[in-house]
Amino acid sequence: MKQHEKVGIRDYTSIVILMMGTKATENTPSAFYNDVQSAAWMIPLISAGFFLIPLFLLLKTFSVFQGKDLFVVVKKLLGKYIGFFVLLYLFIISSLAVSFDTRMYSDIIHSFYFRRTPLVVVYIIFLLVCVYGAKKGIQHIGSVSYIMVWYIIFSFVLAMILSIMDSNIRSIYPILGSGIPDIIKSSIPGTTLFADLVLLTVLLSSMSSFKDFAKGTWIAFILTAIHISAAAFIFICLFDRSLGGLGYPFHTAIRYFSFGNFLTNVETLFFPIWLMAAFIRFAALLYICTKLFAHIFHIKEAGYLIPALATIYLLTGMIPETPLDVALVFKAKIRLIAGPTFAAISLLLWTVALLKGEFNYAKHKKGM
Amino acid sequence: MRKKLSEMLLNKSLKDPQFHEQSNAQDIELKKQAISVHYEQNLSTFKAIYSVPANIDVKIREFTVRSTNRHAFIIFLSSISDQRVIQAGITEKLIVNDIPNKSIPDLCTGTFFSTETIIGKILESINSGNTALFVDGDEQCYLFDTANIQGRAIGKPDVEVIVKGPKESFNEKVVTNISLIRKKLKNENLIVESMIISKRSKNDVFLVYQKDLVNEELLQNVKAKLHSLDVESIVDLSILEQYIEERPRSLYPTTLYTERPDRAASFIEEGHIILLMENSPSSLILPTNFWALIHSPEDHYLRTPYGNFIRILRLLAVFIAMFTSSFYIAVTNFHVGMLPPDLLMAIAGTRERVPFPALFEVLMMEIAFELIREAGLRVPSPIGPTIGIVGALILGQAAVQANIISPIVIIVIALSGLSSFIISDTSMNFAVRITRFLFIFSAGFIGIYGASALLVVGLFYLVSLESFGTPYFAPMTPRFPSSKDMIIRHIPIKERFRPGYLKPKDMGKQGKG
Repeated sequence: MKQHEKVGIRDYTSIVILMMGTKATENTPSAFYNDVQSAAWMIPLISAGFFLIPLFLLLKTFSVFQGKDLFVVVKKLLGKYIGFFVLLYLFIISSLAVSFDTRMYSDIIHSFYFRRTPLVVVYIIFLLVCVYGAKKGIQHIGSVSYIMVWYIIFSFVLAMILSIMDSNIRSIYPILGSGIPDIIKSSIPGTTLFADLVLLTVLLSSMSSFKDFAKGTWIAFILTAIHISAAAFIFICLFDRSLGGLGYPFHTAIRYFSFGNFLTNVETLFFPIWLMAAFIRFAALLYICTKLFAHIFHIKEAGYLIPALATIYLLTGMIPETPLDVALVFKAKIRLIAGPTFAAISLLLWTVALLKGEFNYAKHKKGM
Repeated sequence: MRKKLSEMLLNKSLKDPQFHEQSNAQDIELKKQAISVHYEQNLSTFKAIYSVPANIDVKIREFTVRSTNRHAFIIFLSSISDQRVIQAGITEKLIVNDIPNKSIPDLCTGTFFSTETIIGKILESINSGNTALFVDGDEQCYLFDTANIQGRAIGKPDVEVIVKGPKESFNEKVVTNISLIRKKLKNENLIVESMIISKRSKNDVFLVYQKDLVNEELLQNVKAKLHSLDVESIVDLSILEQYIEERPRSLYPTTLYTERPDRAASFIEEGHIILLMENSPSSLILPTNFWALIHSPEDHYLRTPYGNFIRILRLLAVFIAMFTSSFYIAVTNFHVGMLPPDLLMAIAGTRERVPFPALFEVLMMEIAFELIREAGLRVPSPIGPTIGIVGALILGQAAVQANIISPIVIIVIALSGLSSFIISDTSMNFAVRITRFLFIFSAGFIGIYGASALLVVGLFYLVSLESFGTPYFAPMTPRFPSSKDMIIRHIPIKERFRPGYLKPKDMGKQGKG
């Protein structure tokens, strides 16, 4: 009685929300602040606007191949050889992103909560949990994220409300920050916030239906754009100019505010919930990366790949010497290229599909 | 040389152990044969099989059937059959009645069972309390239903205690148990199917389900699982449970074991399958999920707000039981900053003279608590109260005074211990108690980080559990249509569907005439 091999819309949407929403809790808001000062909150929205077209075209392309995943579509549209390089590019970029992001999360845990524990230990535990989750498969990752997503959203909203109590709305001015050209310029790499959506098409073959996938993607896309923007807005109001100097504004914020007069240090209440979101996010990303790798190099036993890849990520993640290197050098580079190139890939797929007449063919088929 | 030695050792350990067993091929051959037409031969065969007269409760009575003037004997086990029925319904009628040339079924008034010729089948029937009648010259033997197995009367449930609602519980007689279920479901679609699952003791298992509800694939799945068992004897349902579970080593149970017929009946109504066994004062509900395991029947007997109140209370208790001790360890060892200064001072003050680290202190007390609990359970009831006094007095008061344990740890342990009693399902209760220790260790290792990591790993593990193909957290995730009877329940009128994960033949519970 196997009846649950497919991921439903709820589970899928919660995975996507957790994958992209957690970006508001790392260094993203302060990176934006350094680019455009007080207009940082606009970047997620404008980037979402930029990413709207590639995403729409991507979903349109995939809608022609009902229920087929990225591998099939890429092979069909771009052929064996170009397709190989496109997939390899996706794999390398996402792998680097995963390894530096996991390093950054370990840095956060290390620097805010476990000063005396060696970073490697924190990092290894982090990856172990993600490996276990990834090994369980995307259905189970989806289930866990659906169980947790409400608590995570609730705790995040609570954190935001508590932050508002201590914030000052006037920090938001000048409303355009360092000027419109700067905002536009930073919004283009800002599309990296949504680059994961391109990767998620890998999961299409394990989805219950394409309709669910498209619907879930749109819901998560809109929600996370608003969510990251709101987070940036509140952090600007809370920290004002010092936001630029903060590494991880979310964690500083939960240390900053208090819960009435009695509970003054509430970060330990928010920390586990944030951690769970992070675990689920990287379990899902690890799963996707493994799937990409297994497909590119024709490996059938993908289960054994997960720990191997995680070890490689651990090793590359340990290359940067300091947390500052991670944030300002390594991750900044990925952030600069991932979004635009992923958007370009979706545009490419759509263009090829258009030129090859796939859309006409689909329409014709429907007409019959 | 070493190579040879290790090879020799390896070979020896790899070989199956050799036993000097006696062959019973002869017995097996005998049981396959048909009975003889001759009276004397049958008598000697059965006397030999039952080792008469060494076997004291095997009774054989020889007599002459008056109406046909033929020799006959009956054989039965006096300890499990009703001798008055045998006397009045069989022997008396045959000996006294002198109407000529009547057939045996016409002469006897005892409940006629069947006729049988194969020795093995006859033995099975006698072994379950029936009486066998052999008549000289007849090719078959007559079996009469005279079983009367002793057992206790229907009692109150001991484990799943409730305040409002029915108070009957299953007992060791499976006939009683089936009648308790039939009493609640007066429907011709309720099927009671029996199946022999063990080879030597021939233990029966009874599958109870609603024919027009249960999913055919699930039924076949369960039957296949039961057929695949290859064991000599399974004496109880709780042992059968371990045989048919998908993961017998798992910490979390995947079958629901209940002693309440009302609960079993309500699960049958939803399309589940119930297993019953002779000698087991309980039933096994398949498949089951996380929600059924933490629910109590009382949730539904109470009015909706009250029912939901105790549900939320129970969920809170699960959290307290699992996390209080580990949270205490994490906070005092790793996240001292999160405590308000006054509270921190209070805790530090009580811990001032305690020589042990917090982890050790908590572990010591948790183990002491588990000891008291287990001892209280096993102790003969006349000296039971002593345990409570010893436990509370010595371990609580004296340990604090001796500066071995700080009072705050007593509070923490008492709270988590008390909360762990709230889950009524025995298996789930154990699972929560053992999980608590895992959390204590992980929190002792690396604080909240370790506990959260373990929680996520645990969640991943739990969602991957299955009970006969049903996901553990269904219908929440993966989602299935249902009455949404999970964390809270709706008012009964809104519970319109059977659980979708069972794929019942009929989804709707209401509005059908």
